[in-house]
Amino acid sequence: MQDEHAAIDQRGHRMKQAEPIEWTGYLFVAFFAVPFLLFNVGPILFGLFVSLTEWNIIGSPDWVGAANYLQALSDPWIHQAFTNVLIYGLLIVPGVVVLGLGAALFVNAGYPLTGIARTLFFAPHVVSATVIGLVWVWLLDTRYGLINVYLGRVGVDPIPWLTSAEWVIFGVSIASVWWDMGLAFVLFLAALQDVPKDLLEAAEMDGANRIKRFWFVTLPLIRPALSMVVTLQLIATLRIFSQVYVMTNGGPAGASASPIHYIYNVAIERYLFGYASAIGVLLFILILVVTLLHRTVLRETV
Amino acid sequence: MAALVERISTYLHERGLRVVDIPIWIGGMLFLLAWASPFLWMVTTSFKYPEDVLTTHIEWIPRRVTIDNFIQVFELPVLRWALNSAVQAIIATFFCVVFGAMAGFALARMRFPGRGAIFMVFLASLMVPTEVSVVPMLLAFVKVGWASTYQALILPMIANVLSLYIFRQFFLSFPQELLDAARMDGANIMRAFWLIAFPLARAPAVAAAVIIFTLNWNNFLWPLLVTFDESMKTLPVGIAQFAPNVGTHTQIEGYAVAMAAITMLSIPSLVVFFLLQKHFISGISQGGIKQ
Amino acid sequence: MTVKSKSGKSAGPSSNGAGTRQIDRRRFLGGAASAAGVAGLTAATGTFPMPALAQNSIELVTWSWLTASDGEVWAQMIQNFNDAHKNKGVQIRSEVVTGSQYMTKVLAAAASGKAPDFGWCQTGRRLQQINDGVVVPLDEVSMQVGLDWGDFNDFAVSKTRYPQHGDSKWCVPMDLMSMQPEINLDHVVDSGLDPESAPKDGDELIEWAKAMTRSDSSGITRSGIMMTGSDIHPSVTWGIVSAQMGFERASADLKTACVNEEAGIRAMEWVIDLFDKHKVSTREVTDRYKGFGTGQGSIFWTGPWTLNGYIQQGLNFKTALFPKVGEKQVTWFDMGGLEMYVQSDTSRYEQTMAAMKWLSDNSLLWVTKGRGGTPRKSIAADPRYISDAHPPQYRQAFIDGLEFATIADVPVTTSPEFAIYAGGGFLQKTLDGAWTGIKTPEQVMAELKAHWQANLDKG
Repeated sequence: MQDEHAAIDQRGHRMKQAEPIEWTGYLFVAFFAVPFLLFNVGPILFGLFVSLTEWNIIGSPDWVGAANYLQALSDPWIHQAFTNVLIYGLLIVPGVVVLGLGAALFVNAGYPLTGIARTLFFAPHVVSATVIGLVWVWLLDTRYGLINVYLGRVGVDPIPWLTSAEWVIFGVSIASVWWDMGLAFVLFLAALQDVPKDLLEAAEMDGANRIKRFWFVTLPLIRPALSMVVTLQLIATLRIFSQVYVMTNGGPAGASASPIHYIYNVAIERYLFGYASAIGVLLFILILVVTLLHRTVLRETV
Repeated sequence: MAALVERISTYLHERGLRVVDIPIWIGGMLFLLAWASPFLWMVTTSFKYPEDVLTTHIEWIPRRVTIDNFIQVFELPVLRWALNSAVQAIIATFFCVVFGAMAGFALARMRFPGRGAIFMVFLASLMVPTEVSVVPMLLAFVKVGWASTYQALILPMIANVLSLYIFRQFFLSFPQELLDAARMDGANIMRAFWLIAFPLARAPAVAAAVIIFTLNWNNFLWPLLVTFDESMKTLPVGIAQFAPNVGTHTQIEGYAVAMAAITMLSIPSLVVFFLLQKHFISGISQGGIKQ
Repeated sequence: MTVKSKSGKSAGPSSNGAGTRQIDRRRFLGGAASAAGVAGLTAATGTFPMPALAQNSIELVTWSWLTASDGEVWAQMIQNFNDAHKNKGVQIRSEVVTGSQYMTKVLAAAASGKAPDFGWCQTGRRLQQINDGVVVPLDEVSMQVGLDWGDFNDFAVSKTRYPQHGDSKWCVPMDLMSMQPEINLDHVVDSGLDPESAPKDGDELIEWAKAMTRSDSSGITRSGIMMTGSDIHPSVTWGIVSAQMGFERASADLKTACVNEEAGIRAMEWVIDLFDKHKVSTREVTDRYKGFGTGQGSIFWTGPWTLNGYIQQGLNFKTALFPKVGEKQVTWFDMGGLEMYVQSDTSRYEQTMAAMKWLSDNSLLWVTKGRGGTPRKSIAADPRYISDAHPPQYRQAFIDGLEFATIADVPVTTSPEFAIYAGGGFLQKTLDGAWTGIKTPEQVMAELKAHWQANLDKG
């Protein structure tokens, strides 16, 4: 109740006259907040508890303290999964940003047929991971896949996209970029459409060429969209799972495994639920750190 | 020839384009073609005879076609899976949109202590993917005895903050006069919301519905974990059986059947998207960019 | 935390006991005792052969991960059961679960009181399941339905139990499997080899494999030895070859992990040599079954579950005995068996057991067309066991080879960690490091030893 007074006081400074509190507001929010607390917040707290136990679904949990976390620190598969996800980030985030921005600039230029271009650039984003995964498994087939057949015609030896430990991250990343680019594209396009035409025209009058206009006028103006896309894509990449599961199931030799995939592997194939929850908590921490770092960096550069 | 050049240059001029735009346009269109080609190849392969698939001889338009691959897909309970997907996505979307609208309205237009903080909590949760806590959630549903039920598929999907966010943005700029008028007539805020505000929120409702529906229709990890009866699987999870590394169906069927399966899986999403793309794109840019 | 309290509630009315596993099992059984009692009464009094049988008809649910080849035969077995029990009030519904998710899904289903009635045992997982109280001991209920345990050979019966669990039987053995090489005869002929013969030892094996391998500028197009670049297949190959060379995953007293490490390392090198030195295998293959079926490989060691599929598709092949690559000729063994899962409605047990008995009694189709040797003496003595089966060219080696199929699971709770034939498990993931060249065989062996020793120490 003290909070309430404080809130009203604060508000009171701004408002000429204090309006009455609308208590129904809480009711309106509650319908959303209850499932939110139960299914978004609850599992995270429950996960903290589970991560301190040994539990295989059946029976009751055995309290093991920090044992799962200690085990995680020396688990080479965790190191690999977390390293992999950073590599995924380095490949997918720039890929999505560059292609998405390029496609948005193209569509925004008002060329003929850009209506259909807008539709098609976004289309992969609306299908499920199963579709993405299976299509790309087939396209990236070492021997008969479309990509390698066409590469072969220009003299490139077949690349083992999904079957070698060196290439598999690239293979999965290509599919992921295809899947995720649509979102970035739409966000960039909306931002580009908000760029005032007269600003660009004025720059053109002053003799700025396309590249200069883009660099000095457009880019600064779409900066919020850029930061949004990077944030969204970073988080999407940290949680990468479905395409990995469908395309490689983490293999070969765990070379394409991501943290979520490893959680799946530990929980579902080895039914170590406590340990899997501990890895979930670690990933949660990583995501918090990355988000905070990202924000700080952005704030400083802006 | 000269006439053609003339026509092109007038065309370019009318649109404010230059000659240098021609190669850019051609390059862009080629890239677009490459971008769309996986879909084409998927559909092409799905109509091929299995023995015409594993070859380095590329046929974009197959010499001979068959629908056997699709018939084989229907040997799996795909209709049941589609029904599950539809039930799950429709119910979850319905509640998500209604609850999101209510909460979004309250957070935008109602005055009560702590609403700013509440909104910040919701917003911050967008940064935390639900995947990090699927394992405890699975445990909880198992312990409650709700694993592999519609409750398990639907309940965790109701509180999607994206929906709330889209509505809040919309209601922030909702004309106050309309609400005042309703209240003059003696309607309380709840009636004002249901009778005035919500019916006028068609645009954000469609945008949110389309996005939330697609997210649910395509949802993968959670249904994969929480369903274990064949009859409770959703379409993406069921069809994933064709994946070479995890599947149970790869021994005999090849890529042709897998492509037939995913062609069927992607058609509903693509059709909905083509029909409603305006709402899609406006919803996404509303939800994303205006932070 | 809200969720936590809910989970407590679901444990059932008798949750005053401490949370030991044994009590949990009783909770399971006791939790729905009232419901079971009512149902039991109905069962006892309702023996009148009423015309409206559909009223107390029951649908049993079974799970397996079997598809294609042996899966088709299993589906036929279920169909046969359902045909034979039309209008008798019992039908079986069969569902397929992805193999790697099978056990967790059974556990999850059991914990939510929705376990299938019965299903297939997974290698090495039984002891854990018994501890968890997921499977039902069959001794009593099998007596009730009159299953004749005397008709099972001693070997199979001894495999149905573990020493720690007294004399209880936990599954009905259905078939005995060994791993033997299938050889593509078209490839044998086009390579000028003798189709009547087969490689007997490691040198001959490599010689044959080299003769049958084909490659072009893009690499190997036909593997002399069918191998995948990672996961199950190289793992089971290593398991067999290392055992032949004298390596043991655990000592006989289950105290020491990795006996004869040097042999294990040599076996890893043997597998790597297939790819890199002899160049008879390629890491590019991802689907070994499809690969062998489509002629992309010439020698493929696998189990009898593949026969039905390959014979139906008209593949020209035969099966030979696993060559003696090391000092002793041994190969992988597994037993297929049906186990019963714990139900809240315990009155289902008897009908489930009756169904399992019927499937065992009528398993001739299963062991002649679906899989390998029979554990039942009466079926082994039946002339149709030979006459109705796939021709000896395909099948005989799987039966004869059972004699030296001795590589079975390590009988400890954490047995899955030791399994050589399992996807995505600890052993596969660790060995993958050697196959892909990320780690040396010595490093891999050190990791295996550390992990396995820790597991043995746990008991």
